[in-house]
Parts: sequence; C-alpha cells; structure tokens
Amino acid sequence: MNTSKTQKHRADLLVSCVHDRAPDLIPALEAEVKRRGLEGEVKVVEAGCRGFCSMGPVLLIQPDGTFYVNVQPADVPEMVEETLVKGRVVERMTYQEPSSHACALYEDISFYSKQHRIVLRNCGMLNPASVEEYIAVGGYEAVGKALFDMTPEGVIEEVKKAGLRGRGGAGFAAARKWETGRKAEGDIKYVLANGDEGDPNCFMDRALMEADPHSILEGMIIGAYAMDAHQGYIYIPYEHTLSVKTMRNAIESARAYGLIGEDILGSGFDFEVEVRVGAHSFVGGESTALMHAIEGTVSEPRPKHIHTTEVGLWGKPTCLNNVKTWNLVPEIIGKGAEWFASIGTEKSTGTQVFSLAGKINNVGLAEVPMGTTIRELIFDVGGGIPNGREFKAIQIGGPSGGAVPASLLDMPMDYETLEEAGSMMGTGGVVVLDDRSCVIDVARYFLDFLKDQSCGKCSSCREGIRYMLEMLTNITEGKGKMSDLEVLERMGKSVKISSMCGLGKSVPNPVLSTLRHFRDEYVAHIEDHKCPAGVCKALIEHYINDQCNGCGLCLRKCPQDAITGEKKELHTIDAEKCIQCGVCFDVCRFDAVGVR
Amino acid sequence: MATLTIDGVQVTAEEGQTILDVALENGIEIPTLCSHPLLEPYGACRLCVVEIIRRGWPRIETACTYPAWDGIEVNTKAPQVMEARKVILEMMLSRTPNVPIIQDLAREYGITEPPFPAEAPDEKCILCGLCVRTCHELVKADVLNYSAQGIERRVGPPFLEKTRQCIGCGACSIMCPTGAIEIVLEQEAVYQEKPLGPTSAVWVPSLQAIPRVPVIDKDSCIHFRQQDRSEGKIDDACMACQMLCEVDAINFEQEDEIIELDVGAIIVATGFEMWDATKLSQYSYGQSPNILTGLEFERLSNSAGITGGEIVTAEGKEPERVAIIHCVGSRDHNAHEYCSRFCCMYSLKQAHLVRDKTDASVYEFYMDMRAFGSGYEEFYERVQKEEGITMVRGRGASVEVLSNGKLRVKGDDADLGELVHVDVDMVLLSTAVEAPHDSSEVASMFGLSRKPDGFFAEAHPKLRPVETNTDGVFLAGSIQGPKDVPDTVGHAGAAASMALALLDKGEVVISPQVAIVDEKLCSACKTCISLCPYTAIAFVDEDNVARINEALCKGCGTCVAACPAGAITAQHFTTEQIMAQIEGLFRVPAEVEEGVKA
Repeated sequence: MNTSKTQKHRADLLVSCVHDRAPDLIPALEAEVKRRGLEGEVKVVEAGCRGFCSMGPVLLIQPDGTFYVNVQPADVPEMVEETLVKGRVVERMTYQEPSSHACALYEDISFYSKQHRIVLRNCGMLNPASVEEYIAVGGYEAVGKALFDMTPEGVIEEVKKAGLRGRGGAGFAAARKWETGRKAEGDIKYVLANGDEGDPNCFMDRALMEADPHSILEGMIIGAYAMDAHQGYIYIPYEHTLSVKTMRNAIESARAYGLIGEDILGSGFDFEVEVRVGAHSFVGGESTALMHAIEGTVSEPRPKHIHTTEVGLWGKPTCLNNVKTWNLVPEIIGKGAEWFASIGTEKSTGTQVFSLAGKINNVGLAEVPMGTTIRELIFDVGGGIPNGREFKAIQIGGPSGGAVPASLLDMPMDYETLEEAGSMMGTGGVVVLDDRSCVIDVARYFLDFLKDQSCGKCSSCREGIRYMLEMLTNITEGKGKMSDLEVLERMGKSVKISSMCGLGKSVPNPVLSTLRHFRDEYVAHIEDHKCPAGVCKALIEHYINDQCNGCGLCLRKCPQDAITGEKKELHTIDAEKCIQCGVCFDVCRFDAVGVR
Repeated sequence: MATLTIDGVQVTAEEGQTILDVALENGIEIPTLCSHPLLEPYGACRLCVVEIIRRGWPRIETACTYPAWDGIEVNTKAPQVMEARKVILEMMLSRTPNVPIIQDLAREYGITEPPFPAEAPDEKCILCGLCVRTCHELVKADVLNYSAQGIERRVGPPFLEKTRQCIGCGACSIMCPTGAIEIVLEQEAVYQEKPLGPTSAVWVPSLQAIPRVPVIDKDSCIHFRQQDRSEGKIDDACMACQMLCEVDAINFEQEDEIIELDVGAIIVATGFEMWDATKLSQYSYGQSPNILTGLEFERLSNSAGITGGEIVTAEGKEPERVAIIHCVGSRDHNAHEYCSRFCCMYSLKQAHLVRDKTDASVYEFYMDMRAFGSGYEEFYERVQKEEGITMVRGRGASVEVLSNGKLRVKGDDADLGELVHVDVDMVLLSTAVEAPHDSSEVASMFGLSRKPDGFFAEAHPKLRPVETNTDGVFLAGSIQGPKDVPDTVGHAGAAASMALALLDKGEVVISPQVAIVDEKLCSACKTCISLCPYTAIAFVDEDNVARINEALCKGCGTCVAACPAGAITAQHFTTEQIMAQIEGLFRVPAEVEEGVKA
C-alpha cells in the first residue's frame, strides 16, 4: 500500500501524552487500523503535548476535530469500529465539562476555546519528528522573510515594536538584549536557548521542545542573524531525554533542508546549532550558571555587573533566551509586530503559558493573553476548584514567586502587577490552593525544594534557606514562636537584597508573600496551635461526626487500625493510634470525617 | 582613571579595580571573608555588600566583585547594608559557632550568641571558596571543588576521597580564613627525610648564607612540583610570590649552574654524614617513632621545628622517661671502630634540654665519658649533680619495643657488674658519624688518599694536619676525621691560612725532577694514569698519548717503573744517569789504580 508523503489520508489520529501513561496506545492503534485494512486511509501520528494533563492520554481526530480523553489501549477496537468505520462518536470517551455536558469536538472544549495559543500553536497539532509538517503549517517562512527582506537592525526593530519580553521569568526586553549583543565587540558571538526548566510542577519548556522543536530553531536562526552570531547552543537537562532526542533530530532534519549550516537558503548567512546536555537543577537555568555548565564547569552563577550580552559564554558576547521566547520570534516576524503588540497589555505584550497545578480541575498547560485576570485563568480555562471547594490563593512563579490571595482574584496577570503584589510571573508556574491547603506548608514545600536546588554559593541564600526552612518546619510542627515571624521577615528582606543571582534574590518570596497576605494563619499555627486548613499533621486531629452511618469503609482503609465501630453504628477514631494521614477523610462519602 | 565617592569621600580608581580594592586603599573598612588579592573575586560570603548608586539607581552589590566605575556613589554603611551583614553573620555564627574570626566579626555587629542551634558545632568551613580558587587558579591542581548543592554544599576532592593529584602543598590550608583545612602528614613526615632542610618553599638556607637572600626550594615549591598527569609540568602553576613581590625579584628561570674557575688553591671540606642506625638491629631504630637519632632530636627540640620546640613523643605526650645511648655505631667492631668524638657532649646537652623542657628522668648509657674540650668536664659535672641525670656506665646493649608502646633499654652496668634495664618513652641514639658516601669520587677528583676509616688522609698527622699530598689542596673540618665545632673552626682556620700563604707567594719553586713521557713510545695503555698518586698524568685523547703535568708531578717514579713500554723517564734520574752513577761508584779512582800499579 502506498504510504508516501504525498498520500492523502481520510483521517489523522493525533495521539498525545503516550510516553509515560500509555506506551502501548500507538502500537494498539496501528495494529487495529491495520487489522481493519484502513492503513491507506487513516494515519496514526505521535503528536507532542497538548497540555491537558488531567485528561491524558488524549486523541484528536482530524480533520473533523473529534476529541477523546483518557484513551486506553482497551478502548481502541471500539473507537476504531464506531468512529473510523461507522462515523459515530463514542460518548463515554468524550470530555465532560464540569457544567456536565459532553463535548465531542476539540473546539467546543472550554479549556481550549478560552485559550489563546501562540507559543503552543503547534503543540499536539503535528508530528514533532517531521520538518515537512512544520513547513506545511508555514514554518521557516519567517526565516526566509528575515534573511531576504529584512536587515538585522530591522529584525531587532520589529521585535522591539512587538514589545517582546523574555519568557524565562524576569521579563527583560528581548530586543534590548539583542541590540546590546549586536553592538558588543567580538569576532565570535553566541545565541543560546535555555531549556533548563527548574520550577516544580512546570513543564512548558519541555512540552514545547518535545512538541514543536522547529519553532525554537527558527527563532534562534532569526536571532542569530539579528546579532551576527553564527553559533548557537540549546541547553537541556540530561534528565529530559525526549527533549534532547527531539531537538537533536530537529537540528538534523532542518540541516537536510539547508535551514541550518553554511549559507542558509542561499542567503550567505551561516549558523550552526548544537544541543548541550547538563545536570538538572533549579539554579542551572540561571544565565551564567547555564553558561558555566556549557563551558563544562560547576553550574553556579557569577556576578553580572557586565552583562552576558557583552561578556558571556567563553567570554564572548552571548544572547540567552528561553525556548518560549525563541518560539515567539518567527510569529512576530511572520505576522508583524502590530499583531503581537495588540495581544496582552501595553507593557506586557503577547500571551503567557501557565502551568496549572494544585487544586484545579483542568491540570495542565494553558496559554492566555497577558493581563488575563486570575479569575479567568482559574475558573474559565482551568475549570475551577474540584469538589466545589473554596479558592484561597494561587502561588505564581514557582519557588521564586509568591502567593496571591483570593481578594486579588480580579487582578490582571502581567509582569508589573504581579510584582507589586509580592509575587512574580516567573516561568508561569501556578499552584492553586483551596481552603484545604496550608500556605505555610506550601512555603515550606518550596523552601524544601530550594534547599538542594540552590547552588549554595552565596552564604545569604544557602544559610537563609536553611534557617527559614528550619523556622517554617517548626511552625508547621507547632514549635514556632511569635518572634520567629519577625526573624523571618528580617531574614527574608536581607537575603533578598544581599544574594547574587535571581534565585537567591527570590528565595524569600514564598515566605514574605504568605507573611504579607496570610499572617493570621501563621499566628493561628503559633499561638493557637491550629492549622486552619487542616494540613499540618502535628496541629490537627481527625474525628468522626454524627453523619457517620457506620458503612465501615474508613475502618477498612485505615492503615493504623485506629478506627473502631460496629456496622451501621457510629465509628470513632483512636487519637493515640491516628497518624493524621487523612485516608478516612478522603474515602468518606458522607462528610462524616472532620478535621479540627 | 575613574573618580567615585565612597562614604562621601571622593576617591580615584585604576582600570580593573573593584570597589573593595579602592576602599581598602583609602582606609575604608569593608568586612570580607572570601576575597584575596591573589585570586579572582568570587562573591560568596556576601559580607562586603554595599549600597551603590549608579545613574541615580540604588542597588545592593558586593564590593569585591563590583567594578569601581566612574561616577558611582558607594555607601558602605547604609542601614539596609548593615542589617544584611548582621543577618548573614547571625547565620554564619550559627553554622560555625566556634570559629574565632566569625565570633569576632559577629561581635562587631552586636551579635554575642548564635541565634540558631548549630547542626555541627565543630563545623569550621564557611564555604568561602578560597581553597577551591587557590587550588584552581594558583596551584592549578584542581583537586578541590564543591560537591552537592544548596545547603548540602561542601568542599573537597572528587567524591570526597583521597586523590594522588593533591601534592599536599598546603596552600588551601594557608588561605582558609577559619582554619577548616588541616594538612595531615602521612607516615613519612617531611622532617625525617630532610632533617635540616627547608621549612618552607621560599627560605634562607642558613642565617650565615652569603648573600643572605631567600631561595626557592624546588622540591617543595608548588610552581616546580605541579604536574599535569598527561602533559607534565604546568608552567603557570602558582606564581604567588612573583605576584606579590613588589620589586620583581622572583625569577623562576634561574637554574643551578656549574661555574668553572681557575684557582691557585683548593680547600676540600665535605663534612660528615650520619651513620644509618638501622644497620644494627638491636637498637630497633625505625620500629618506633619514639626512637630518634641525635639529629632528629635536634629538629624536634628546635623552636623552628615541627612541634615549635616542644619535646613530645609521637603520641603528642610529654615523655616521662628518656634514655640516651652513646656510641651507637662508634667504637663498635660491628660498625665503626673509631670514636665519633662529639657525641658525648651533644648527648649531655640533649639530656640537659630534656631536663630543661620536661620533667622526664634521663638515663645515659655510656662507655667512657670523653669530655675533653674547654669547659666540657664542668658541664658534665653540672648535668649530673644539678640536673639529676642518671649515668649508667656500660654500653646500652639493645632497645626493645614493648607491646604497650614503651621502649625497654637493656644494658650492662659495669659499676654494678650486672645487666640492667629501664622502660622509657623515648630513646635517643647518639649515632656515629662517617665519611660521606661519595668520598671516593671526591678523593679521585682531587687526587687525595683516604685512611682505612674512610676519612681523608692528611699529609702528616702531626706536622701537616691540613695539607695533602697534592700541592695546593687542603682539608678542613670533619673530612679529615670527626670533629666538634671548636676543632672544626680551628682546622678550617689553619687550612685557610695555608691556602693564603700559598697564594701570597705569587710564584712557587718546584723540583725539576719530574717524569716525562716519550710520546713516540707511549702505547696509550693508561697504566700510569691510575697509578699516579698526585693525579699528575692525564690522557690526551687528540694525540692518543699520556702527558704529565709538570707542576703536579713530584718525580716519585712510580709511573717510570710501571710503564710497560718504557716510555716514561724521570728527568735527572734517567736509566743512563743511574747507570752512570753506578759505574761511577764502582770505578776505582785513578790514583788508587795508579797506586796499585805502582
């Protein structure tokens, strides 16, 4: 049967999130398609991440747009029979909106329809291993436009007009960086792509590299042309093996089309790019630490009084941008600065990809225009809080960011506004907290994460993490003192101003922002020995109220055999044996287990 | 040249200087623990944070890393800066509560007690990175680096295991501001190998050295020792002394060199060597670190030595009993039969040092007390009477290392007529001295002869004690036999005056009775060359003949008699002359012959 590139298929099956969750899904689909003799009509494509983590693995059937969620190999025969052969939708495999109506079509799902996907434009929509598919959707047109129709200065001017800010976290104006890089003296210049994403719960860079590698390469080629650089490196943590593989494959296939290497598209411009792999850590994404890692030395930051755009990798002018920033460049060059600047706010243009995690229905990656309010992101795109619980706060910006309370739910999210609220955009990691989440525990969690993700070079950052973590742990264990709050504030402020790099300067953010917005919770922990959210084990007690009908489920599930009671009679928890694990609370269907 | 303001004072800075450099130059104090003039700035301790106002924007930065740019305004004591330093010091003091330099700094900022309990009260390392940068930038050994991240960060060699790449130079330990790095000498301590050697890589060989300038000991200098495993010597390893020397006096290129001089007289003064005490196993030398030779004890009790002059055992304790054994290797048929002459007196002196510095009892095992010099007998009397040293007359026979580490000295007490023993903590062996091991090479170089004991022979033991049989070559000191300091000084003075007397003559008269070689007959067998006691015959390669230096030849005739080709004759003493003399002797005088006829 003819399966060449020019073959027109009746349907494409775009399968996402198979790597961890369903490695057998694609072979199962292929086998079933073959069994039904549909090989020439139906093509199974391993597409990249579609960002809908809570529903994966997902399957999009093009061109009609049928969208199935939680697809398992066992569902394959039925799906093929019903949808591909008979043309009917399998109801049970479609997505159920929380408003409880089923959505069979991709474009009807509010998680997608309310997003504005620019960075993620191709994610899950094409085969990342195929440069032809990228070219087919208009890829590498911007490279042609830049190389043949624009001067390097023109490219920088366009990016400047678009108001593009670096997506790595700090939001530094990309065009200013490029301009300094262009003006810097040096025979050799470098462009780097930062693929070392360090925030816990964040995976947009990885998703992008795995789903749409060519958009990053295309941006780098344009950036290199603007800065007169001829060598680029993409730094990816060793652990992200699929990203490394996909990017390396993309470089080789782009080279085969003359898009990388000498005399790109006959323009006379040369550009080489290479993937560099290093050990993963949060601090490893800091620009100078990343350059040290590429140079082969210890990945720790150095002072940047002289910018890396002047003295960077191996002492040469270097322009480092996040992979998302590079990804946006072809869109800006292709569609124009005015188009990009029209999205978002005046100072923060374009869109931002958020990684939604925590107590939210639609866990995953969501891209919305800058300036979208927290409410829109959490409730419209994110589908709200599970189990009808109450929204309490979001922690934006990962360990470097801070908590924003419910009172600021209608606050627009852009770089400046978030910073004023004591948080930061960062890379867009969002952890949603409901009334059952303890903010002190969250702050403690982030410090615990940082304690071995900081490089440990600066005494202020290293020891600050050590002692702030010690104090927060004491508070969550009921051993805190009121004087700790003053020490935490003092220490936080000093660590913020006296540490060297962005990581060190933002280490106290989770502590300071929660102290600012949730001081009463700290006081409750210290003075009343209570955790209002019912999280901190040392400060809570599980009990069974009179809602209990004696079903015995909690009794069977309790790992400590702490629950006693006859069938159909009120159960009780033995406080001596109870370890406050919360299993009974989770399993009870009658709201009979309480926490106090 | 840049102009900036620090704490309201206008100062100027050179290109490349940091704010810290400029502040220190102008006497403005900024605390710092991780910066060093020899190393690149690092910015780890964060104590030198200052407020910097540049183009109207205030910011907090470390003075050790921030360039002294033109027009900036620096406040080293801004309130938030002082607060940040205080917080950092509180945390540092909690980490390392028992480090004096941290305690002192903390006190300056009003901190008396660590605010947090210490995780490890013995911790001394503040992770300033001076050691790592020293090893990388100066020593170029890259033995030290950081391992683990965040609060677990620590300093050490790869995998925190011993590495042969470390040459034990100690530079990291010297740089460490908190004393967190200790250099441990393993087994072969340096002082055992080089008892009187250099104490550091840059040293003055002796206080009497001329010129009295320091030299580099290449065996311990990092610059010369540092080797790369694959590429050999690293040329730019540690040049710290050169970087620091203000008058540019350090020259790494300077080599030892051989200088050829034409001289009129030579004084040979090779000195002596210590006899190896392991050769007589009964003394157990080498089996316990507490059995020392006299020279090792000198090093131990020297105030510039490894213990700073304290007399302690290898365990670091003050000894309770010390035995000194005389004549180890001297006056012994199994070693040297001669008396080493000065051991008796230094043994008494060492007994005195032990008594002076410790409370230990001292036992001296001796055969005869040879206290022959001026004031010696009085000293001998004094240590016995005033210092209570126990004298045991009789050779110390053996030393046994007991299982508890003590040392049992057995000996024969000739006064009591019985065998005695004593258990001690330290044994000092007054070992023999002997002629240096390369004496035979020296002897053949100068044409000197040696005595059966190995020392060099003087021309006459009583009448010509500094001269040799080679004209113009003199002996000084222990080359001629064991001597103490006064004797050596006297002997050397005599040699010097003999040499001067010779030089002063301007010209010398020698006997015309010398040997000459008939070069036509010389068969180039070289027999004569090794036989000449005055090294007066040299073999001339170009002409392939032996030739005699007439100035050195004494006309002894040894070569004349030995020459198998009969090529050598003694001038004025030829065969013909001898025969003529013999004939002359036997000729009957004419008057006698005539008288007989008559």
